[in-house]
Amino acid sequence: MTGYIIRRILQSVLVVVLVSMVTFLLTDLLPGGPARAMLGPRATPQQLQDFIHTNGYDKPIPVQYGIWIDNIVHGNLGYSIKLNQSVGALIADRLPKTIVLMAISILIALIIAVPLGIYQARRRNSIGDYTVTSLAFVFYAMPSFLLGLLLVLVFSTDLGWFDPTAPQSGNVGQILAQFNGLILPIATLALITIATFSRYMRSSVMENLTQEYVRTALANGAGDGRVMVVHVLRNALIPIATLLGLSLPSLVAGAAITESVFNYPGMGYTFINEAQVRDYPVVLGFALVISVATVIGSLLADIAYAALDPRVKY
Amino acid sequence: MPILDVQDLRTEIAVSNGAVHAVDGVSFSVDRGELLGVVGESGCGKTMTALSIMRLLPSGGRIAGGRVLLGGEDLAAMSDKEIRKVRGKRIGMVFQDPMTSLNPTIQIGRQVAEPLKLHTDYSAQQINDRVIEVLELVGLPQPAKRINAYPHELSGGMRQRVMIARALVCDPELLIADEPTTALDVTIQQQILELIDDLRSRLGMAVILVTHDLGVIAGRADRVAVMYAGRIVEVTDTNRLFGNPRHPYTEALFEALPENAAETGDNLYSIPGLPPDLVTPPTGCRFAARCRYATDQCRSEDPPLRGDIAGHDYACFFPVGDQEMQVATQTHQIRRHDTGDPRARVEIDETKPLLQVEHLVKTFPVTAGVVLRRRVGSVSAIADVSFTVAAGETFGLVGESGCGKTTIGRHIVGMETADSGTIRIDGTEFTALRGKEKRQRQRDTQLIFQDAYASLDPRMRVGSILAEPLTIHGVGDRASRAKRVNELLGEVGLPRSAADRYPHEFSGGQRQRIGLARALALQPKLIVADEPVSALDVSIQAQILNLMSDLRARHGLTYVFISHDLSVVRYLANTIGVMYLGKLVEVGPAEAVYNRPHHPYTRGLIDTIPVADPWASKARGDDGVRGELPSAVNPPSGCRFRTRCPFAQEICAREEPQLRSFEGGHRAACHFPLEVGTAAGSRISASA
Amino acid sequence: MSTPPQPEQLPIPDLAAGAEASKPLEQQDQPARPMWRMVLQIFLQNKLAVVGLIIVVFFVLFCFIGPMLYHSNQVLSNLRSADLPPGSPSHLLGTDDVGYDELGRLMIGGQSALEIGLAAAAIATVFGSLWGAVAGYLGGWVDAVMMRIVDTFLAIPSLFLVLLLASIITPTEGLLILVIAFSAWLGPARLVRGETLSLRTRDYVQAVKMMGGGNRRSILRHILPNAIGTIVVNATFQIADAILTLAALTFLGFGIAPPHADWGGMLSNGTQFTSNGYWWMIIWPGLCIVLIVVAFNFLGDALRDAFEVRLRKR
Repeated sequence: MTGYIIRRILQSVLVVVLVSMVTFLLTDLLPGGPARAMLGPRATPQQLQDFIHTNGYDKPIPVQYGIWIDNIVHGNLGYSIKLNQSVGALIADRLPKTIVLMAISILIALIIAVPLGIYQARRRNSIGDYTVTSLAFVFYAMPSFLLGLLLVLVFSTDLGWFDPTAPQSGNVGQILAQFNGLILPIATLALITIATFSRYMRSSVMENLTQEYVRTALANGAGDGRVMVVHVLRNALIPIATLLGLSLPSLVAGAAITESVFNYPGMGYTFINEAQVRDYPVVLGFALVISVATVIGSLLADIAYAALDPRVKY
Repeated sequence: MPILDVQDLRTEIAVSNGAVHAVDGVSFSVDRGELLGVVGESGCGKTMTALSIMRLLPSGGRIAGGRVLLGGEDLAAMSDKEIRKVRGKRIGMVFQDPMTSLNPTIQIGRQVAEPLKLHTDYSAQQINDRVIEVLELVGLPQPAKRINAYPHELSGGMRQRVMIARALVCDPELLIADEPTTALDVTIQQQILELIDDLRSRLGMAVILVTHDLGVIAGRADRVAVMYAGRIVEVTDTNRLFGNPRHPYTEALFEALPENAAETGDNLYSIPGLPPDLVTPPTGCRFAARCRYATDQCRSEDPPLRGDIAGHDYACFFPVGDQEMQVATQTHQIRRHDTGDPRARVEIDETKPLLQVEHLVKTFPVTAGVVLRRRVGSVSAIADVSFTVAAGETFGLVGESGCGKTTIGRHIVGMETADSGTIRIDGTEFTALRGKEKRQRQRDTQLIFQDAYASLDPRMRVGSILAEPLTIHGVGDRASRAKRVNELLGEVGLPRSAADRYPHEFSGGQRQRIGLARALALQPKLIVADEPVSALDVSIQAQILNLMSDLRARHGLTYVFISHDLSVVRYLANTIGVMYLGKLVEVGPAEAVYNRPHHPYTRGLIDTIPVADPWASKARGDDGVRGELPSAVNPPSGCRFRTRCPFAQEICAREEPQLRSFEGGHRAACHFPLEVGTAAGSRISASA
Repeated sequence: MSTPPQPEQLPIPDLAAGAEASKPLEQQDQPARPMWRMVLQIFLQNKLAVVGLIIVVFFVLFCFIGPMLYHSNQVLSNLRSADLPPGSPSHLLGTDDVGYDELGRLMIGGQSALEIGLAAAAIATVFGSLWGAVAGYLGGWVDAVMMRIVDTFLAIPSLFLVLLLASIITPTEGLLILVIAFSAWLGPARLVRGETLSLRTRDYVQAVKMMGGGNRRSILRHILPNAIGTIVVNATFQIADAILTLAALTFLGFGIAPPHADWGGMLSNGTQFTSNGYWWMIIWPGLCIVLIVVAFNFLGDALRDAFEVRLRKR
């Protein structure tokens, strides 16, 4: 298994390198070239000239890429003139907040979705199963911004139970302390995730229940409960680990929009705001970091998969 | 009192258009220490009978009537809780495929321990001890070390041993084994059957052995029940059944076995048609539609299961065989219906062989490593194999799975490229050909696949499938291709309307006919048939074998017939080549190889094949090929068979034996070849 | 040989098959039902599929025929009739903050949702399927290179990729289609590659090789037609996803400039007035998005079931 993990890590490194190349090449696509994009429309020709020279944008592309990578490795992701802050510092502030929001939501989603899927598989075609399936369809189809807005309308505007916006300032700890403002964003993200995962869990359990090893366990005298807990559960969870890795990019996107709806000061909210005002240093730096984080997340999911499935050897 | 007494069991499986009457009034009993064989073709209800006893029916299935008495208690009437206390404790069950029947993510020790946890109040230590004890009993080497292994880390034979251990760990009164050896190689099959037989006598339990293979039953069972279309059609003790079958279906099954026709070389008897649809079973005798003796009475009245003498019952108004024969002493002599010899050579020019394989070598790399997939070893799939096939003959290639026989077939038709060595057809080598000649060569050799269904594109109509080789090679126009498709369908005995249908609308035998038709489309000289009948039931297998010999005669074809089943090869082939772990260990005229083998592996293989003859089975004893097939990644030095050979000496490890000639083109690669005097059926003593 | 080969009768029907198939071959006069007809039949037995189909047909009529029958001004703002609640005279579903009629605007907005959704899904499906089939069939280095490219773009969460692109370009309908397709083709590429890996080892693909057929024939005649179930099912989900992505884009302000109408933009606009209690500005476009996405998900699910029943017959 160690060999498998090492190979998987190297593969991820390769993907990260490719992602960095794509991000880098995108800077060349920026309107008015990278200098104009970084310095903004009010920069003078002399400033642009200086920027191009000092950042090596007059050198051949591979050299430019080298310089760019060198900067990034040294933590220099550029400077946002619009926010008057270095991109690195911005990320250091925003990334932990996004990770906290996503981790709590995914955890809650798994805790609810797994038993829900098992229940549906065992009581398939019952009223309960149909109800959950219909709800899952609706939540799955509902864009996160709409779900967020509806939750705000009901629980904040009407009932006044929770805050409509997330806590704004402070570090992760301070934000967690104001938990009331986190409930709606977490609920939004978790509900949408539950919709996907419970459907997969249901079909995964159902498929495993038809496997021959279940028949063997029954032939040994095992009851339904034991078959489910001892035999089926682990086998059914294996594809869920893969699913978690595969759906991470879309979860990140969902989190970004949720952040935007609740003004939660995370990566996605900042990214969307700055993309709207074409603050390219932030947009590119964030895209790179988010991609790397996604790659790492998928890697962790794959390692979980390898740990769950003894058949994966290398 | 019998241990198990099944009375008028009826099992139904609900389907969209009604219910399949999978088991329809079956009664039988098993005594303590007795081994009852249940035989029948696929779909006859034998597995459903076994599952009904344990109440493990698939969803939609239910026991509609009858009683299943285990020591006087009716299993069919028990509550779910009560039946759970029977399963795994009083009745153990072993299934067909040990890979899928074991939980892939749980260590085998914990799986074997499961019945103990459920049915006993043993302590953890007692459970552990018992698990190791029972794993030792079933012959798993080093059980204390292996209990933490996962199923995928064991070989197929070892997995089945684990399954048996899991079934026996609570000392059940009855063991039900449902096709326990069908997924295994023939040498491993022998070992597993022996194990079951041995455990039965040591533990004194009753065994129900469900199988499609009459050979598996012959040497082991005390009594046999033959099932057809959800019913038992004949039941008696093994010797009587094989010596004097009374039901026409049983008789027909025997006559369809290629091993019974091998001596004479007659065409096989093939049962026409297919078993009936069990949603709406026909009135009268269910076999009537396929029976050569059926009358109007058979078609309207249901024959009861009864017999002229005690202990031999059959459901037939017009039984075959002898009424008075009380004690059978040999296997039923089969009446042959025609005298065509499937091996009759069409036109053979021995001086000019059609196919010459010379020093063929193929290794597949095994890679490992993290960044660069470096080569850490190689699977030696074919190791210096040479043989020739004359035009018009049938060359049979036999061996266990993984011996390289299929890889050779793929090389012959040009689907693989050899590392070294040559394959010549009519004297020209494939790799030397370019363009038009290469295409011509592709037309000369065709392959028939084992799984006919898998070889036919499910999204294409049969007409397009048959026309595809013509299209690829640009033969003719649309109209002429359509005409050729009709011709081909006629050749293999399918109606023209088949061209408009999809492969899934056909039965297994019909699909193999389509596969044959496609192979014929380009008028090849040589057809490589890779296990073409091993997925088929005996009666259907006979139809395809007959068709193949028919086509050979008509078109002057040459076959390379690849099979694990020596009796099928012996029936069809003029020459037999025996492969072991990438090596051709023996080759020669079919009768010579079969009756006077020189290589100990061939001898062992012949002794291992289950034959549908209880006297021969018992006479030859239990000597087969021992142990498991070694890995082809690092094959044994010298003679590759030495690790399993009873005669192996020090020289066998040091020096690789070359093929040497014996009489009449018979060659074998062995340092200590068996003497010609060793007659078939006699034992080889391991101390020789 | 004196015994003529005896054609067997047709097989016992598969447990799921109808009684018709049990007739011997010779007695069936009609040609076999083509596969797609069987799929259609199973599909129509599924109630959810029919519901989905009805919803889709309804929206097509609503968006494209609706405006011909129901005229409303969607170009000039009219502040005198702004913020009218549903049920107001001549404004059945109310008006928005500049006086556009909600019902009429939903129709116009739906046009771009359906057009862009369908077009983006079609491009993504065709391109992605071919990419995946070629990579999977050829294997080796080609596969490695092609799939690392997919991994790379997959690692950048699609919303960020799309936002990045949308921030660089000035969106038009055509460009939005390309931008959405650019991130959407990765899914089918991965899926079809996986399918191809298993299909290419099938004997019927091997048989083509044996007969001397080329790669083109194998991919186009055998692999893609046999992956069609996966492809069609995925395409349906792709439409739903594309509509969702479009809604997210326009919600975040990356849509086509006004007076162009779209559902996401309407929703985004409505969020400003949640505290005023103008719920209709959110509910109507939200309902439209959820309904159409649920409908396509129903279709996809039913199609998958239909194809799977078909597959079970193998």
